[in-house]
Amino acid sequence: MTLKAIIVAVAVAAMTALSAGQASAAEKFVFTAIPDQDESALRKRFDKVAKYLSTTLKRDVAYVPVKSYAAAVTAFRNNQVQLAWFGGLSGVRARKLVKGSTAIAQGKADPFFETYFIANVSTGLTLSKDFPKAIAGKTFTFGSKGSTSGRLMPEFHIRKAFGKVPQQVFSRVGFSGNHSRTVALVQSGAYEVGATNFKVWKKGLANGTIDPKKVRVIWKTPGYPDYNWSIRGDVDKAFGAGFAKKVQSALLSMNDPDLLKSFPRASFIPAQNSDYAPIEATAREVGLID
Amino acid sequence: MALLELREESAGYNGETILHELNLTIVPGERIALVGESGAGKSTLLHLLYNRLGARAALMPQDSALVQALTVFHNVYMGRLHERSVWRNLRNLVLPSRADVDEVRDVLAPLRLQDKIFSNVGQLSGGQYQRTALARALYHPGRVIVADEPVSSVDEHQAREILTTMNGEKETVLLAMHDRALAIEFADRIVGIRDGRIVLDEASNGMRPGDLDDLYRTTDP
Amino acid sequence: MMSRRDPSPLMRTTTGFLFVGFICLAFADIAVTTGDPWKEFSLLLEGLVTPDFYKTDSLALSLAYTMAFALLGVALANVIGFGLALIFHSRIVRVGCAFVRAIHELFWALIFLQLFGLSPLTGVLAITIPYAGIIAKVYAEILEEADRRPLAAVPVGTGRASTFLFVRLPDAWAHFRTYSMYRLECGLRSSAVLGFIGLPTLGFHLETAFKEGLYSEVSALLILFYLVIATMRVWMKKPLLPFYLIGAVAILPWSIAFSWAHITRFFTEDIIPHPIRAGGENMMTALGDWVSMLLYEQIWPGTIATVQLTMIALVVTGFLTLVFFPLISPLMLGRAARTGGHVFLVVVRSTPEYILAFVLLNLWGPSMLPAIVALSLHNAAIIGHLVGRFTETIQLRLDAVKGMNRYFYEVVPRIYRPMLALLFYRWEIIMRETAILGILGIATLGFYVDSAFADLRFDRALFLILITALLNICVDAISRTVRAKLRLQTSLEER
Repeated sequence: MTLKAIIVAVAVAAMTALSAGQASAAEKFVFTAIPDQDESALRKRFDKVAKYLSTTLKRDVAYVPVKSYAAAVTAFRNNQVQLAWFGGLSGVRARKLVKGSTAIAQGKADPFFETYFIANVSTGLTLSKDFPKAIAGKTFTFGSKGSTSGRLMPEFHIRKAFGKVPQQVFSRVGFSGNHSRTVALVQSGAYEVGATNFKVWKKGLANGTIDPKKVRVIWKTPGYPDYNWSIRGDVDKAFGAGFAKKVQSALLSMNDPDLLKSFPRASFIPAQNSDYAPIEATAREVGLID
Repeated sequence: MALLELREESAGYNGETILHELNLTIVPGERIALVGESGAGKSTLLHLLYNRLGARAALMPQDSALVQALTVFHNVYMGRLHERSVWRNLRNLVLPSRADVDEVRDVLAPLRLQDKIFSNVGQLSGGQYQRTALARALYHPGRVIVADEPVSSVDEHQAREILTTMNGEKETVLLAMHDRALAIEFADRIVGIRDGRIVLDEASNGMRPGDLDDLYRTTDP
Repeated sequence: MMSRRDPSPLMRTTTGFLFVGFICLAFADIAVTTGDPWKEFSLLLEGLVTPDFYKTDSLALSLAYTMAFALLGVALANVIGFGLALIFHSRIVRVGCAFVRAIHELFWALIFLQLFGLSPLTGVLAITIPYAGIIAKVYAEILEEADRRPLAAVPVGTGRASTFLFVRLPDAWAHFRTYSMYRLECGLRSSAVLGFIGLPTLGFHLETAFKEGLYSEVSALLILFYLVIATMRVWMKKPLLPFYLIGAVAILPWSIAFSWAHITRFFTEDIIPHPIRAGGENMMTALGDWVSMLLYEQIWPGTIATVQLTMIALVVTGFLTLVFFPLISPLMLGRAARTGGHVFLVVVRSTPEYILAFVLLNLWGPSMLPAIVALSLHNAAIIGHLVGRFTETIQLRLDAVKGMNRYFYEVVPRIYRPMLALLFYRWEIIMRETAILGILGIATLGFYVDSAFADLRFDRALFLILITALLNICVDAISRTVRAKLRLQTSLEER
């Protein structure tokens, strides 16, 4: 009868699982990245980075894709990844959760990152120097709920300009999920206005996925610190003394234009936790961290 | 020594009395048929007797009550569930043991069911079904059989076969029957019930079906 | 004097629910907000007919993972659920089961992600836990309804265990098997959907492909998914089950380390409401503020949206069922047309409503409309199928009218009661699904749960999930009352 078969199978399965769990001690250096834009492209990009780090660090390095910013932070927190390419906000969150973890590198553009407010041409809005108050009453989409450039900074500026939460300013507020989706949704008219990462915008313009006849930039935020590579504090213990330093220098010496272009960053420069203090303060003000 | 004695007993369920002030003594070796209209209280009396007899009796309930999802072997084996350990029962449920199969086959052989031993009871004909129910009662070690309408759903030929086997295999037979002729033929004592009371209790010797007409006389307006 | 006949309780209930449904609809946001929904739709259709099986990385592996999670999850749920069914008379067990099944598997997965990360344990347990609760209830009902007549013939003095083994279990066993197959089908759907939040199943690639408009890839993934479900009865053979289970364990990547520290941390820190964790002398005030903030800003609007969407979806499901069931009813259509109807209903009901809603959201934009349509289509396909099958048992007299007259006079009156029974039975299921659609951006409770997880505020997430579960339990209770009042019954196969 089946019952017996099931019991046997479950027992065997449990034993296999246990032995597999014990065999997992093989130390592999694993990293992830926030899924901030086209995910299928992300995978190819970071597999290349993994290969680069493998060669440079002379050990097994793997990239694991995740579906959300929060999943990236959780993986970092639970030591399922030891290194991550975070946004400003996710980096702050992750480092708060993992004692001793540090930001070790950032893109050359990252200390002065910007968010672009973009609008469908049907709104008639055009680029302005001051915050475009005319967006009130329109439909608006952020990027991911946990994004710095797609959520935190635009929400901060919206609250500052109107003294109200976005839900009270706009007729509809959405979260597209990532920056390329935000652009696509505003371009298609699903939302009238949106906020996106300026790097993704420029890349889209360059490779032709953005149609300037349908969507345009209407405001650029002042600069703020954003993306960063953060590493856990216990990697030296796990992978040998000076490992964090080695990873940092590997990242800083990355000069293959093909690799850098995919981020897209001109190069990586050193970073430290205190660089992101303004982000933490803003997040606290907006109420995204307790 | 009486097998069972009822003295001024009443019985019923849901707070309603169905049997009134019964007096009945049964001695081992008797073959008793309860007759009467449906609703007269035959089944209630039969169950009262079965409850008093406990493990000494095997029961053949009215609708045979075989477990549809099981084979003939399993249904017959159930006649001795109470004598076996849970483990042996579990083992026989999953993988019948040779010894137990042989035992059950011995019970099935005279009933011409030995070939059907591993058939599901759902696939049996009416007669085979009823004989399986009998086999279960025969496999039960009790020397008394309590059978509620054991032959109501089979033809007369099969009915005779079942009743003959029953009489041959069990020491004491307690039946509820609506077929008066068969009752007189196969029982040696007829107990007539009407409106929950025993109104007739005689030897069947020399009795004719017509003698029982009183039991069936309609009283309702 | 003319006397007006009082409407029957059945009609009164119908009218009441229609009324509530329409009120909810009047206040619902059902705008199509995309600029050109039909262009996107035509792109989707074009992609669907040009499947590309080579576009997805590790497609075969994610298919295998989808099946592995489902098989292990459902098998384990069967063992646990069966055990619980045996002690289902205990109040604690009953309440516990009601509670775990009131929480959708996606919410369970979000919780387990915090405990085990992206380990297979997350996927397996996310299916096992709620399914065990469902299976326990259904198996207990099956055992309850098993043929009791053979009990009489069990010899006096037989132990309870033996009686159970020989009398109650065998009858129930066949039902268990049928139900397990149905659960496995549900498990495959759940498993695929778990990919949307990061587990390596088909949904992982499906979500990416959908988001980026790679519809040929979407098509390939969906075709594979339908194939697995449609051929389930072919590959799911009893003697093969142990091999499948061992195979499932073998292929899943268990290597991700398991840490008690993470689990302890989750229960002793993460889910403790922030004000309590922060401590301080104003803790109670802060806690009060925290609760009232959640209540006013999230629970209240989320609950309203959840109930609103549920009620609209329930009523629309009813309407669509009336349209769908004739498609497979021999009373209404010929054999050839019915075959088409069957294919249509199979495809619609095999598509998880979550995926359906996701597609429609992409086409129409984020209002309630995609959610209403997705929930109603999926559920109406299920109920329509059952009602259609039920009509096979109806014998009409030879001179019965034809066409619309037959539909309204002969058929609908006969199926109305069983249809309502099924609708009310699925009411709670619709609500559970409604809450989860919040993850896609519709402002039901799930939206706030998802936001809390995105902000890594597990205290809020868990609190909101508890509220969602309570809401489900309430609806389940109301549904049971209504069904009991109207004496509506569903047969075992329909649960």
